[in-house]
Amino acid sequence: MDQLIQGPNALENYLILAALLFACGIFAMVSRRNAVGILMGVELILNAAGINFVAFARFGHDKVDGNQLDGQIFTLFIIVLAAAEAAVALALVLAVFQTHRTISLDEVDEMKA
Amino acid sequence: MIATIIFWLIALLTASSAILVVTSRNILHAAFSLCMTFLGVGAIYILLHADFVAAVQLIVYVGGILVLIMFAVMFSSNVVEDTAEHGRNRLAMVAGGTSAVAIFAAIVLLTERLAKPLSAANKFAGAEYVHTVSVVGRETGLGHYLMGQYMLPFEVVSVLLLAALIGAVVIVRKELS
Repeated sequence: MDQLIQGPNALENYLILAALLFACGIFAMVSRRNAVGILMGVELILNAAGINFVAFARFGHDKVDGNQLDGQIFTLFIIVLAAAEAAVALALVLAVFQTHRTISLDEVDEMKA
Repeated sequence: MIATIIFWLIALLTASSAILVVTSRNILHAAFSLCMTFLGVGAIYILLHADFVAAVQLIVYVGGILVLIMFAVMFSSNVVEDTAEHGRNRLAMVAGGTSAVAIFAAIVLLTERLAKPLSAANKFAGAEYVHTVSVVGRETGLGHYLMGQYMLPFEVVSVLLLAALIGAVVIVRKELS
């Protein structure tokens, strides 16, 4: 209840929100068949990690003078890596679709045969 | 008080749209929900006084990655996972749901257990929402970090981004006969 009233001033609230995003991403990665749906799950997980980094950068240090920005830098790198990953992954999805006419990962299983 | 209400509204928006992303059958609806999730996460960054990160989140995620995802969804036709052969595997649903709930419960329990040390480290516990960081200093500080202490990772990640984009072009390029 105390946590509920504190809202944006409680680190735990951010951690729980990020945990929810992470769990949603895991669920999407495990249960979706569509390759783009799995990619969406990965993006959710990366966003959860970013929230955690920025939250710890704000709450988890002694000096609050604008010089403790390592967490924000990490989140910036995560966003750049997510962009690179999304570009390559979606290029792969389009290439697979051109050859197989589907992006359902249950049907793209040539290596098995 | 108002900040608290705003925080919970944003958290509710982010959480509900994230759940919609993973539950909706239509993959295009999931993409639109993902847009709301990215916007909500950007708002969370602003509440955490990370204005520059919020701007980058909007530009890169909403302006870039989401557009790419929508392109991929619309180019690869079967949008609805509704029919029997495209529906989700029930076993995968159960496995994914179980692992997701287990991970979420574990993190929440861990957070509850760590509540005391966390709030001891937290300078803002019990305080009203105040601007403790000078608005001018932060973006300047980020620039100094990126061009100083984090110079090498910054350059490496820029080369990596270039390589990834060239790779993406090479992968989808049609062979010239």
